[in-house]
Amino acid sequence: MEGRLANAWRLTVNDKNFIKTALLSEIRIDGRKPFEYRKISIKFGREDGSSEVQLGQTRVISIVTAQLVQPYRDRPKEGMLSIFTEFSPMADPSFEPGRPGELAVELGRIIDRGLRESRAVDTESLCILAGKFVWAVRIDIHILDNGGNLVDAANIAALASLLTFRRPECSLGGEDGQEVIVHPPEIREPLPLMVHHLPIAITFGFFNNESILLIDPTHNEEAVMNGRMTTTVNANGDICAIQKGGGEGVPQRVIMQCLQLATSKAASITKQIKDAVEAFNTERALRKIKRHPTSTGVDVREKQNQ
Amino acid sequence: MEVDREDGRSQNQLRPLACSSNILHRAHGSASWSQGDTKVLAAVYGPKAGTKKNENPEKACIEVIWKPKTGQIGKLEKEYEMILKRTLQSICILTVNPNTTTSVIIQVVNDDGALLPSAINAACMALVDAGIPMRHLAVSICCCVARSGLVILDPTKLEEQNMKAFAYLVFPNSVHSVLPEGSLSVQGEPIENGIITSVTHGVMSVDDYFYCLEQGRAASTKLSDFLRRNLQQQSTDSSKAG
Repeated sequence: MEGRLANAWRLTVNDKNFIKTALLSEIRIDGRKPFEYRKISIKFGREDGSSEVQLGQTRVISIVTAQLVQPYRDRPKEGMLSIFTEFSPMADPSFEPGRPGELAVELGRIIDRGLRESRAVDTESLCILAGKFVWAVRIDIHILDNGGNLVDAANIAALASLLTFRRPECSLGGEDGQEVIVHPPEIREPLPLMVHHLPIAITFGFFNNESILLIDPTHNEEAVMNGRMTTTVNANGDICAIQKGGGEGVPQRVIMQCLQLATSKAASITKQIKDAVEAFNTERALRKIKRHPTSTGVDVREKQNQ
Repeated sequence: MEVDREDGRSQNQLRPLACSSNILHRAHGSASWSQGDTKVLAAVYGPKAGTKKNENPEKACIEVIWKPKTGQIGKLEKEYEMILKRTLQSICILTVNPNTTTSVIIQVVNDDGALLPSAINAACMALVDAGIPMRHLAVSICCCVARSGLVILDPTKLEEQNMKAFAYLVFPNSVHSVLPEGSLSVQGEPIENGIITSVTHGVMSVDDYFYCLEQGRAASTKLSDFLRRNLQQQSTDSSKAG
């Protein structure tokens, strides 16, 4: 297995120096400006609650499922939200299958804090019967291609899939109203989740030289940079989470600059996500309408027989 | 005997196929294969130096990692990994790069029936995209036997659950479109009459099984043509740099 470590991808000294020298003149190797994001494309699968996000060369899919479970004893009226991140060995030759590495755990925690602790998803609306049945929503994020900046891409994918997820409608029944009946989607339209705001994660890269600051690093730049910071902000200007784990020390004014930059980027990314979800919902509604012509066809034939 | 299939297909009709290769940037080879709503993504890394502990170092080794859509990896996923590994071992030329490991990673994007055949087809295309030396390609199909005794091809998930028995079959691809005189024959029979892998679930009679094989073989010719056309298109497009 030691042979596998030898296969891990390493950037050459020449490449690293080239990237650093170019950054001194504010040029990035893919032609972007230091505060420019790569092209974001959000696509959805056939089912509700599955999304695929491409941020430049980084590719992530996110799938949301829900199950009825018993709530925690100290929180009987709240549903649950859990996030599972899978760093698939597909994405990078250095990702090993099995136990998640440091990066995977950190990514999961950042997205978890951004979504759950900022109360972006309303968990009280997930309660069906207090103390007995609540919905546990599970988000599975699979990283397919590591082109750098996995946190931001995974966050956008998680948000997009949460917005298009529909949970089955259920009602209370039985003799004493203690039984929960889950209605299948053909009988009653499934309901969307209540999402209050969209926390967007924006990642910054820091270098030895104080004047170099960039946003949305590619995996080449990630191998060169000396520090990183992920800020999770929403379009209202609220800071949901900031993560800066070690690395290069950075003066205060740079942090403030980053936060201001993050808020403006969050607004444009939020709009992009909402537009994509809007388009998916219209298409979904159209697909449902298309079913009706077959039922009107049957009616016409019956009238002809009469 | 006419059968009423939900999407209006006849008993021998396959779902619309779609595949594309070279879709991931870090992987050495990648392919996406979809049959109707079932969609599978395959990526190949290799050959990498070294083999695992219990593997024969005089040959190349193939490692398969199956990633389900949600949930933890259980016995079913391990079984799929083993079937896929043995199938791919029989089509790859293992003596070319001894003491190396080629990793094939399968990611299930959507499961609507015939999952394992789609995965085998996707893995095959990804191996071609990565340039791993192979003897011939493998095409895979799912045939099932209904309770009425009818044999239908390429079931959806709902159909699979209502069947009496179903079989996943893997055949070597036919070369008729390239060599009209046919391929090599082994003991008087052309090579594409052989079966690489066959996995059955449920109870079926011997006659039903042989009928499944016939139908599967006929469908595999169509699949081979589709695969070949796609691969030829990819090679005429710009080549992968680096």
